[in-house]
Amino acid sequence: MSLPSRPRQGHFTEAALGITLLVLVIQLYLFETVLQSVLDGHRTLLAGAFIASLALTVVALVLAFKAPCLDDDPGA
Amino acid sequence: MTWWRRAFPLELAEEGHFSRREFARFLAVVSAGFTAGIGYLWLRKKPLEGGSDPEPGHHETPVALGLASDLQPGQSRLFKFRDEHDACILIRTPKGELRAYRQTCTHLGCAVRFRGERLECPCHEGFFEVDRGFPVQGPPSRPLGGITLETRPDGTLWAVGELPKPTDLPERVATACPREARTEVTS
Ligand code: FES
Repeated sequence: MSLPSRPRQGHFTEAALGITLLVLVIQLYLFETVLQSVLDGHRTLLAGAFIASLALTVVALVLAFKAPCLDDDPGA
Repeated sequence: MTWWRRAFPLELAEEGHFSRREFARFLAVVSAGFTAGIGYLWLRKKPLEGGSDPEPGHHETPVALGLASDLQPGQSRLFKFRDEHDACILIRTPKGELRAYRQTCTHLGCAVRFRGERLECPCHEGFFEVDRGFPVQGPPSRPLGGITLETRPDGTLWAVGELPKPTDLPERVATACPREARTEVTS
């Protein structure tokens, strides 16, 4: 049985996917560190952590939504 | 054809096409969620649950804890401090000193109890020393919230406020109760 194939809108290279995964790992680590320090009563980290996290999110969002076709058709 | 395809003969055009880009979009949205979380922590002025930073300008209402002489070394008594959810424990240490702590374990929030010479959290076997509430064994890494006690001239004991969070681990505790030194229980 052959399923109708969906039009491909450009695929991610492994590098781009790797970067997005790395961003998420850093975000997780950052959030955990920030939460720990807030519970310990240290709030000085928050502004810097927020800016860093925002920058990482922008990178991830740009890669995921705006990056042009990074490779043509890996499945083909 | 696999058995479940025969059992559920649904055919969707989307099936089998969860692209890398869709996965990356999901990851990006999760990443944005973490950013929002950090932003929330930054904007939030009130301490988090379990945090013990008193709000600026907050005036505590003293809570009567009975006669100080009623509690013998090794005994404890539970009380509520700020409201009915703020469970605390008053203990008399084996050395005879009175101490009071929030009962909320700093690991995942179970209630600690007084056992012998330490405060014990039964959930994941976390232990805290009694002098300043430092964690000495198990998963907790932050000290218990301390409550300031006051003995009035008539001998009554009052909980009057929150102790500032201790940050320095006293040498005595560090050497007597190293966090890494797990107690080996042999049967
Ligand atoms: S909740 Fe207390 S040790 Fe985990």
